[in-house]
Amino acid sequence: MIAAEILASILLPWISALVIYVLNNHRVSVFLTVLNFVILTIIGLHLWFSVNNPITLHPPHLVDWLLLVYDYGLLLYFFKQGIENRNPLVSVLAVIQIFLLSWVVLIRPHSEVPNIYIDKLTVFMYLIVGFVGSLITLFATRYMQDENPVREGEFVAILVWFLGVMNFIVSVNNIEWFFALFETTTLASYLLIRFRGDTVSVNNALLALWMNQIGGITILLALLFAIHKYGITHFSQFGEHTQLALFPLAFLSAAALVKGAQMPFHRWLLGAMVAPTPVSAILHSATMVKVAPYLILRLSPFIKGTLLAKLIVVFTGFVFVVTALLALNETHFKRILAYSTISLLSLMMLAGTIGTPITITVALMLIAFHAVAKALLFLEAGVLEKRYHAKTIYDLKHIINKAPLTVFFILVGFLSMTMVPFAMFVAKWLMISEMSELLSKASYIITVAILAIGGAILTVLYLKILGLTINRDEESFRVKIEKLPSLYTIPNVIYVVLILIATLFINTFLVYFFAPITQSIIGYIPPFCEGLSVCIKNLQLPFWQIIIAFFFVVFFPIIAHYIHFKTDRTAEYSCGEPVKPRISTYNMVCLNKVSTYFESISLALFVLVLVIGGGML
Amino acid sequence: MKGILFTFALLSPIIGGLIYGLERKFKARMQNRQGPPILQPFYDFFKLTDKRALQVHSFHSLMGIAFFVAAWFAVFALLIGPNILIAIFLHVLALLFFTAGGFSVKSPYSVMGALRELAHILAAEPILVFAAIALYLSTGSWNIEGILTSNTVPILQMPLLFCALVLTVPILLKRSPFDISEAHQEIIGGAEIEYSGLFYEAVYTAKWLEYIFIGVIVFLFGGSNYLLGALLVAATFLFVWLLDNATTRLTIHYMMKFAWGILLPLAAFNIFWVAIWR
Repeated sequence: MIAAEILASILLPWISALVIYVLNNHRVSVFLTVLNFVILTIIGLHLWFSVNNPITLHPPHLVDWLLLVYDYGLLLYFFKQGIENRNPLVSVLAVIQIFLLSWVVLIRPHSEVPNIYIDKLTVFMYLIVGFVGSLITLFATRYMQDENPVREGEFVAILVWFLGVMNFIVSVNNIEWFFALFETTTLASYLLIRFRGDTVSVNNALLALWMNQIGGITILLALLFAIHKYGITHFSQFGEHTQLALFPLAFLSAAALVKGAQMPFHRWLLGAMVAPTPVSAILHSATMVKVAPYLILRLSPFIKGTLLAKLIVVFTGFVFVVTALLALNETHFKRILAYSTISLLSLMMLAGTIGTPITITVALMLIAFHAVAKALLFLEAGVLEKRYHAKTIYDLKHIINKAPLTVFFILVGFLSMTMVPFAMFVAKWLMISEMSELLSKASYIITVAILAIGGAILTVLYLKILGLTINRDEESFRVKIEKLPSLYTIPNVIYVVLILIATLFINTFLVYFFAPITQSIIGYIPPFCEGLSVCIKNLQLPFWQIIIAFFFVVFFPIIAHYIHFKTDRTAEYSCGEPVKPRISTYNMVCLNKVSTYFESISLALFVLVLVIGGGML
Repeated sequence: MKGILFTFALLSPIIGGLIYGLERKFKARMQNRQGPPILQPFYDFFKLTDKRALQVHSFHSLMGIAFFVAAWFAVFALLIGPNILIAIFLHVLALLFFTAGGFSVKSPYSVMGALRELAHILAAEPILVFAAIALYLSTGSWNIEGILTSNTVPILQMPLLFCALVLTVPILLKRSPFDISEAHQEIIGGAEIEYSGLFYEAVYTAKWLEYIFIGVIVFLFGGSNYLLGALLVAATFLFVWLLDNATTRLTIHYMMKFAWGILLPLAAFNIFWVAIWR
């Protein structure tokens, strides 16, 4: 039964993608995406309750060979794309990959270790992919009606297929399979980014392609070394060796850092925004970049406390602060979201690398709620683009006069990433507290500074954008709530409701949802206490504070829309100067001067992670 | 102790008003002026209630009220809540409403003030978080009661951080040289400019609460030595008032450079040093 469910959650998206592609019919697409949403979520929930111990599966050997053939086909396709688009780098990297893969095939030992390994972390990813990702595909069906109805089937099919790939990649135990699927996510993002087909799209797609190919190469190098030294071909075998060299772990982590668009490789994710908005939504929230923290969490028990872990902490910490800073300099709404994704991905990986029970829980919370918040924000970005033709944050000025509901959703999305009492705030708070705890034992000292500074920057960033949107010129009760197509609104409403519920009952989620996953990763359950107040060790966030803060953040904006003080009105004072009020916001151009330094430093740190972290020095 | 702290939190707007009255008196004396009576803020308060209530729009007015309520809540969370770090973030939440109010009206001064307020948050928030971490590091407790009953005196371990905190007080209270977001001669009060009458009352009182908020954090650096704590608070406020009288306004760039280039490294160095030393 469980095996069938696992198979279903991997294969269902592949099959529905095929059907959507072939039929290319709007109604069929809507039906199948909804079906995916329902079935994947139900299966995920059921698996959640049934998978208490890791489940392993032995797919037939045929699958192994099929995947290998597929892998070669895929790499040849990359090679061909490099030739066709006159990008020698892509072709060269593909050749290197083919060479390394052949080498792996030649020396790999015969292994009876199961190739599929399902634990709570996997099911957790299923739930994110199924719940968050499927809603994006549903949104995409309507979005393509506004954009290019003819190619709707093709577009939605790739998105749905992406979900299947994602479900597959989090289930595999075999590193070679992981490589194949890693490159498949690269392929999917490549196809999606170049979807519009213009020069900019193609260039950015190729950029994403070669950067992610580097990640593929580091996986292959790690695998080669692991096979050569230890005969390791599967992730689960890392635990069997106590004296493990750091080389394979460092190179696998490097693949995660590339996939997670960390600083010297951040341009591919920024470039991805030329694609239709659902692409950004799906890349940022449920798929693609989430492979990065997932992989780090898989490796976390093995790298915890090593020099490698410390280097990754320094690197991701640096990227966390720096990308948050660079986001202040951006004016394009989607680029700001992209920078903040990179920043928060660093935080997830930082937390995952440190690897104490609380930080692992924090990483999981960030993965889950960042997925929801970013999906929400990108879908709103899509709505803004299609309905209000707003692309930069300056286009968002006064938009509350036209679209109060959209503004409310954006507000929830932004504030949920930074403000009391939202789940991601609880995660950051737990993180700062845990780091202070470690600080008092004189380990990971600088991380508290990183967290305090990066958190403040992100807060200001979100407030800066919100500030532009809420500048209004009349009483709000006169503003009608905008009517949007229901396929635009429904996914967003579901996300917002989920965020709000998770905020109120955060401790329930912590105790019954996140803590068991932590246990399955490191075998130790963080001692959260029961009840509605968050409390663990000497930390406490009482429920009454959650409720009151919730009331402030969520209900005040709603009330503010309907409340109307019956007092006399006055025009703005402005000291009687006859200026036409034009508002704007900071654009910290001073950061342009230093951004190249940031990139150089991060490149140096990345090399350090590989060289020193990999034990090559 | 819980009862005392609760009463203090309940009375904090009044105590904050008294401190404001004292401030005006002290500053006047420093300038060789007579100065208003200490209760002047309350006279102003009652006078404001008599004024005709005018508003730009209801959203704006509501944000002013939300600022006051949230600021008071932050003081409550600081004084009776179990975690001072949460209180510091709740304080940011209060400022969020203040800036939201400033952003929501079509007045250049108000929007500019709100933007500058964001810079104040950017400059001050990390140092407040550092202060909470420092208190935890030296007393081993996130709880105000735990800090007030601990055996250690945090300021002895964290002198540099305390200096940074004292120099952050002008940023938080918008006092010269960092009264940038109010800057009466430039942007006429910034985000407060469009409030009037009853609604201004809320913003006006909320600013009294800021004295309490920062004052309590300073007080905690005395640990269980309450006399020392009280002395620290008095010294800090006197210093800030003197500074307010003696300096002229800097620009936002100077503030950011000062906060991030000097205060943050100072505070961080102190924390790191203590962590390594033990």
